[in-house]
Amino acid sequence: MNRLTPEQLAAGVQDLPSLPAIVMELLSSIEQEDIDISVLAKKVSYDQALTAKTLRLANSSSFGLQVKVTTIQQAITFLGFQTTRNLITTAAITGCFPSGRCPGFRDKAFWRHSIATAACARALARRMRFNQDIAFTAGLLHDIGRLVLVTAHPEAYGAVVQWRAQHDADWQAAEQAVLGIDHVDAGVALADHWNFSGTMRQAIAYHHAPDVHGAGFLAAIVHVANAIVHALDLTAEDDELVPRVSSVAWDAMRLNEEAYLHLFRETELQFGEMSAILMA
Amino acid sequence: MSAPYQLTPLAETRPGMVLSDVVRDGKGNVLLAQGLVLTETMLGSLARHGVDMLPILQAEPAPPPIDPEAIQCRLDHVFRKQDRDDLGDWATGILRRYVEDYRLQREVNA
Repeated sequence: MNRLTPEQLAAGVQDLPSLPAIVMELLSSIEQEDIDISVLAKKVSYDQALTAKTLRLANSSSFGLQVKVTTIQQAITFLGFQTTRNLITTAAITGCFPSGRCPGFRDKAFWRHSIATAACARALARRMRFNQDIAFTAGLLHDIGRLVLVTAHPEAYGAVVQWRAQHDADWQAAEQAVLGIDHVDAGVALADHWNFSGTMRQAIAYHHAPDVHGAGFLAAIVHVANAIVHALDLTAEDDELVPRVSSVAWDAMRLNEEAYLHLFRETELQFGEMSAILMA
Repeated sequence: MSAPYQLTPLAETRPGMVLSDVVRDGKGNVLLAQGLVLTETMLGSLARHGVDMLPILQAEPAPPPIDPEAIQCRLDHVFRKQDRDDLGDWATGILRRYVEDYRLQREVNA
């Protein structure tokens, strides 16, 4: 049997690889403004690999900098604290989970989808005048529960991969059928364990159910971004499948076709560049 | 020189091609200016000056032609759970139409 109890899920979350302390600090303080930036820049720069990846992201054309930034402090000066924090956490999280543990689970494709959803959520948020950095991070983390399950219970998740292939279903249905819990449960457990902000936790919890009362606008943004990225077929997986789009979430975006076509283009371009940096 | 160019053997150059850079002889004297459109006469004279390669400006690569049938087929595959007749699922239907317009490069009236 591959069923997972809530206790097993909680134990799996406890055993996950931990993020660098500085990144945990950044994630838990994502909506906090009063942070000592110079201390932060210093702490991050002790981690050379993290710094290098962050600076490459900062210098990518998505951010349109006229000068190349070479230190975290400079990135903060030119891009602002929020955006830099966002890039640091992105660089850290995409590198922290072990890959290749679960047969049939394609880690690269997982991250490509997450990065594309982050880029799309950010582009949507800008048009909605919503906080772009929070939208980006929520897009990046929306399916993080799948990695929790894959990392903590690779064999059980292998059965999920098989079930999904046989039934041509979406991941949530396959996880529920095989494990009795799904990546939303696992994502919420991780959000609690890693001390994510309430907004971020809501977005992870409701990205498949943005119609639920109290789901919040961020969940709607991530829901639509997720569907767009599946529809644009950016990971080019054979079994790519567009999920049903919530009409409530779609309505909340209030964009016309022209705006969507620009959004598609922007998402594709940023995805190409960012995935090249993060998947290197 | 920032434009994309290709160093092309003189024998393969044709009148009408454009130089991406100045061409000099062995002593460094400028023979032809940057941006010049080559003619039959020039090509003949370059051979006499011992020039054997020319920097030829490359046209911007044209976007690859799209195959509408293959694109439609792939879109139908990724949208296989969406029923075009299901009016209750209009949001997915709109997304599908927009992505089709985008991928098939259809004219869209703003």
